[in-house]
Amino acid sequence: MSSMLKITNLHATVAGKEILKGLNMKLEAGEIHAIMGPNGAGKSTLGNVLAGREGYEVTQGEVIFNGKNLLEMEPEERACEGVFLAFQYPVEIPGVNNTYFLRAALNAQRKHRGEEPLDSVGFLRLVRQKLEVLHIGDELLHRAVNEGFSGGEKKRNEIFQMAVLEPTLAILDETDSGLDIDALKTVAEGVNRLRSKDRGMIVVTHYQRLLDYIVPDKVHVLADGKLVATGGADLALKLEEQGYAWLEDGGIATLNVESAVPTANP
Amino acid sequence: MSELSSQLAANLPENTGVRPEWLKVIRETGAEQFRTHGLPTRKDEAWKYTGLGALGLAEVQLATGLNIPSANTTQPSPLAESGLQLNLLDGQVLELTGDAPPGLTVLPMADALGSGVNGLQGLLESLSVKHTKAASGQGFSALNSATLDSGVVIHVAAGTDARRLSLTWSTSQGEKPLLFNFRVCVILDQGAKLELLEQFESNDENANTSNMVMQVDLADKSNLQHIRFQQESDKSVLITRTEVSQQAESEYAYFGFDLGGGLVRHDLHTSLWGAGAKSGINGAYLLDGNRHVDNHTRVDHFAGGCFSDQYFRGVASGSGRAVFNTAVCVHPGADESEARQSNANILLSTRAEIDTKPELEIYADEVIASHGATVGQLDELAVFYMRSRGLSEEDARQLLTTAFCKSVSDKLADPVLSEVISQRMMDVMPQAE
Repeated sequence: MSSMLKITNLHATVAGKEILKGLNMKLEAGEIHAIMGPNGAGKSTLGNVLAGREGYEVTQGEVIFNGKNLLEMEPEERACEGVFLAFQYPVEIPGVNNTYFLRAALNAQRKHRGEEPLDSVGFLRLVRQKLEVLHIGDELLHRAVNEGFSGGEKKRNEIFQMAVLEPTLAILDETDSGLDIDALKTVAEGVNRLRSKDRGMIVVTHYQRLLDYIVPDKVHVLADGKLVATGGADLALKLEEQGYAWLEDGGIATLNVESAVPTANP
Repeated sequence: MSELSSQLAANLPENTGVRPEWLKVIRETGAEQFRTHGLPTRKDEAWKYTGLGALGLAEVQLATGLNIPSANTTQPSPLAESGLQLNLLDGQVLELTGDAPPGLTVLPMADALGSGVNGLQGLLESLSVKHTKAASGQGFSALNSATLDSGVVIHVAAGTDARRLSLTWSTSQGEKPLLFNFRVCVILDQGAKLELLEQFESNDENANTSNMVMQVDLADKSNLQHIRFQQESDKSVLITRTEVSQQAESEYAYFGFDLGGGLVRHDLHTSLWGAGAKSGINGAYLLDGNRHVDNHTRVDHFAGGCFSDQYFRGVASGSGRAVFNTAVCVHPGADESEARQSNANILLSTRAEIDTKPELEIYADEVIASHGATVGQLDELAVFYMRSRGLSEEDARQLLTTAFCKSVSDKLADPVLSEVISQRMMDVMPQAE
């Protein structure tokens, strides 16, 4: 059986600088993978490349998503095919109502799938359901997209959008950054409720803390544009204990991991 | 003087037999000023960015005195269902539908001139006086005074809430493009309240030039909401001068929406004479093709404790050109005034141009003033964010530019009207080139 997501030898540059340097990774439907690593390793670049953000240029490699070449698609096609990126810094869009925006997005995706658009009554029903499940109040609905939202509200809004759009592949880019413990729990609970056998998730995080609440099937360590180690959920705990300094020391052997990829080029 | 100005001057109506005498004086003074100065040119500072040459105005014919067959003009469908509806064709009252509340008087200008509406003579003369002070650049108002006979007078008696009055303007198709002159006088007595919703629409067949002067007199504690929506044809010319005079604690709120028009110029001037008067001047302009829209607004604070807020948003694509000039003057003695100015623009093409200039003069104490003017592009990160949720690039850009202009329609008190106007803006929102 082919993987939901297969990334092979992915190289990407941002403003002429190579950030991803041959990344390989497989994700199966129903799995949650965490990607951890030090600042500047390329964690956010991976999410942006997968979502198709301009300025993130793929120079080599391929990404196959559900049998299709993801890199050939426009950002909106990727979204319609089921890719969702929860932004590290959700964008404020003054004047565009959150509910209106989300309905327009959902209907664009439904149209792509050949489904009828949801009218405002049907959409509101769906929204109420999701809000209830996620324990989010409806105050975010009436405001402009992310405008004047607190850090926690922005992240919750991302999870709410994800719940409504029901993506096949969700990438959470440092969704835990800047959250206090209560907001973190709310976000994690939202993510856990969206776990399903048909859905794959990539959780990008700098700290292990989030993984206490979202227990991943696999943890990858990203350093200098490549995955240098892969392990189970306990790998995150080891990273928390030992930090990332061992990467520079070339001390992968000190970690008891499932697989370790040599960082140095032969 | 230009060929056009000479041609128009030669065709000004005769004033023999015009009664009452004061009207004759207004018309003669206007004619004299027009003959002296003609239409404004780019040499006039206030018309530096707006030339009259581009639109084949040379062919235009003064409509005053012509016998125009007023057929084959379809009336635009009204923006709002509720309230009184007044349709004007060529400046003449065509029909008034709905029940006018007691205290509201709506009279065709020709009737009002003869009937001595309280305060009308003084109001009309006040504009005439201004010419002699600074005639240069005011050729259009002089022409309007020289031909004064059409338009409408609206009077709301003290304490009356007249609610909404919709005014729909249209013009007839002539052999040549025609130049119409309209005058509107709005007089609100103490504590009176009115919402005036003006609508201008035309198609290429009846694309004409309209030269309109509106004079507003607001007594103590009166309140006028003035909404102006224009979606004229690309071949139409719409020149407007609005003069608002405000007494103590009166409120004037203007919302202008420029969605069409080949050449549009609006000079909007409010004078705050009484303490505690408030003026909110808001507008959105959408430019594409070769269209040109020029808004010149000015607020004079003469009394203390007054508040003014000017808020304009603009989008320009193609070879569209927008001019926005906003001025505030806080005169000596107008202490504890507050004046805000804000103008932001989005350029969607390299050929489009936006000239924005805020002016601020303060001669009083304890004044709070702020101003800002920006010209920029769409936020590309916001475009990507929307696309990453499934919206097409085109839809994302359209939604963003509409949202930008919607910040003006969102200020309208009536959510239904706000939604209608926002949708109309979205329908014609210029695309990036």
